[in-house]
Amino acid sequence: MSERIIEFRDALREAMSQEMRRDKKVFLLGEEVAQYDGAYKVSRGMLEEFGPRRIIDTPISESGFAGMAIGAAMMGLRPIVEFMSWSFSLVAADPILNNAPKMLYMSGGQFGCPIVFRGNDGAGGQLGSTHSWCVEGLYSNVPGLKMAIPAFPDDAKGLLATAIRDDDPVFFLESERMLGLQGHVPEGDHLVPFGQAIVRREGTDVTLVSFGRPVHFCLEAAEELAKEGISCEVIDGRTIRPLDIDTIVKSVKKTNSCVVVDQSWSFGSPGSEIAAQVHAHCFDDLDNHVMRVHSADVPTPYAWNLEQEYLPNARRIAEAVRSALYVA
Amino acid sequence: MSITLTMPRLSDTMEQGTIIKWNVKEGDEVASGAVVADVETDKATMEMQVYDDGVVAKILVGEGTQVPVGTAIALIAEDGEDPGSVTDGGATPAPAAAPVADAAPAAEPAPAPAPSAPASPAATPAVTPSSGGGRMRVSPVARRLAEEHGVDLASVTGSGPGGRIIKRDILERVEQSTSAGTVGGGVPMPVATPMAASAAAPATTMPVVREVPALESTEVQVSGMRQTIARRLVESKQTVPHYQVKMCFAMDALLDLREQLNAKLAGEGVKLSVNDFIVRACALAMAEHPMFNASWAGDRILVHGRVNVGVAVALSEERGGGLVVATIRDANLKSLRMISAETRALATKARDKGLSTEEMSDSTFTISNLGMFGVDDFTAIINPPNSAILACGAAIEKPVVRDHQLAVGWEMAANLSLDHRVIDGAMAARYLGTLKSMIEEPMRLLA
Repeated sequence: MSERIIEFRDALREAMSQEMRRDKKVFLLGEEVAQYDGAYKVSRGMLEEFGPRRIIDTPISESGFAGMAIGAAMMGLRPIVEFMSWSFSLVAADPILNNAPKMLYMSGGQFGCPIVFRGNDGAGGQLGSTHSWCVEGLYSNVPGLKMAIPAFPDDAKGLLATAIRDDDPVFFLESERMLGLQGHVPEGDHLVPFGQAIVRREGTDVTLVSFGRPVHFCLEAAEELAKEGISCEVIDGRTIRPLDIDTIVKSVKKTNSCVVVDQSWSFGSPGSEIAAQVHAHCFDDLDNHVMRVHSADVPTPYAWNLEQEYLPNARRIAEAVRSALYVA
Repeated sequence: MSITLTMPRLSDTMEQGTIIKWNVKEGDEVASGAVVADVETDKATMEMQVYDDGVVAKILVGEGTQVPVGTAIALIAEDGEDPGSVTDGGATPAPAAAPVADAAPAAEPAPAPAPSAPASPAATPAVTPSSGGGRMRVSPVARRLAEEHGVDLASVTGSGPGGRIIKRDILERVEQSTSAGTVGGGVPMPVATPMAASAAAPATTMPVVREVPALESTEVQVSGMRQTIARRLVESKQTVPHYQVKMCFAMDALLDLREQLNAKLAGEGVKLSVNDFIVRACALAMAEHPMFNASWAGDRILVHGRVNVGVAVALSEERGGGLVVATIRDANLKSLRMISAETRALATKARDKGLSTEEMSDSTFTISNLGMFGVDDFTAIINPPNSAILACGAAIEKPVVRDHQLAVGWEMAANLSLDHRVIDGAMAARYLGTLKSMIEEPMRLLA
């Protein structure tokens, strides 16, 4: 492991810059990505290195620049589209959902769409309900796209590099709550393959499955539950599409118990999909039905205390684990 | 006018029936021919069809409840009729109504439906015996672990919601069995045992409390099958003058032949059991001794024209236990592989979903084999109207005398129970002699 420690946002930039040096077809566009160094300073210094033809400031018009980038991808370039927040991608729903993931299929293989859409996803901290979208549930429903959701800086770099080299549209979900997170990140080329979950903590009593920021909530809950003698295995799924169900199934066959933690709303979500697949694959191994911890089924509250309670936090995860294990 | 569904008469001897399972609920639409319920009769579990189209307005008899044939069990609202307006009162046909052959008798008051699991909102899960009349609740992994460790689920009290048996319950049971050196049922009960003197033990005579399994007094509801077994075997043992004649057969040649055949025929999916040879031998011997294929009929003896050998099949304890007799019809005309395939198919069906009345009727002789459990010798009760039953033990390797020499050989004890009204002792001895020659020279069974 690399000795170097950098922030999550630096890891994202390193992946983009290295891929841009490697492949001239790669370019970045979005609101404030160039002259302002990015609304969250992810693209700091990139305009200086790559110039205004490859680091492009766009107007506040997601539908326009996302559509333009999809056209560029169809013609052979490899755009990275930064949404300041995935909440703002909703106005670009038609190009990103109706064009990008279906292009290869609808053109009979004539046009691919090697594009990366990336930005902050989920509650950022008192941003109110319209700016706190978790798009996992909505977007992972669509066939033809891939979805990566890193939880640690090394995966932020490794998964983003893989996303840029991937020939399909990749929806890359970050979180402003994690951009300052520090960790060991390898220098040079670092690729993390899609569809390979990782066990973040080994345990024997229950399998916790999560993606992105809630992986940290799971680790926090596991720490707390260990004091009660409950041993949690925490799986970081890393990509939702493709989903590494094998790693999850292997763990559940060992623990006989599963709690899925997903920051999207529960109805029709990655959490409900994983629960269904675990029930199908592990029916004879389960001691209880798969439990799920999601964001509460309401628009994201603005008040700090309510927002904390709304999220799938460590306390709610611990309660679900006790319930799954029949510990009153 | 609503239609009343009554407990149907599904076999000639059926007087009562139990609704094992409703496949419809109130408000469901049903079409003529639909299977609405599974009904347990005195012989088997059978499917109950509905003969009209409509909507199930009311279910009057709950699952697990036994009612006499003809009792109203559900009401069907006809097309255009409001299911909500259908009442119990409407189920009672007016006495003046045109008599129909199968008309339902006046509806009796519907028995209370079987108690359902209590809905307990309490934080601590309600602990109810999960082995009660209803369905047993067991988590999938608990069921698997119970099988792996040989734990009888019926003896475990579930600690999960609604009495669900969960992984913890099975593991605790296994741990107790291991530490106490005992297995089996019962709820653990703390008992005081004096601590064994040992170097490690503190110098005190204080007793320590240790968890050991204790027995528990319970009542077990009997199934229709168990009632039939009880009634028929009491009748047999009380009215048939039983006596037993036993003979031991040398099994070396038969076991050799079986091994050779199974090795040669493995590719064709043939796997002959010792019992298959015995079925064939008994059937062939009956053709030579017709009185073994006969029934006492009060003032005469009926000698049957077909040789139908019944094979007793034990059902799993977990599914309520019991046994049924599967009939291999015309067994004297069937080859070993036909007998083997048919026996295996019937035994599997008996254990999985139960046999039809036809598959259990018309046997003329019965074989009960406990050899697979290692039993060396036992006697059986005649299965009326048969005149004989053969109880077979295991083929056992033991010291034997062959050609005036002490040798090691395989032997099996066969114990015939006979109806003395039909078969006398000398006849039984001759029949066993025929059987012995066939089993000891088993090539004859191949012809």
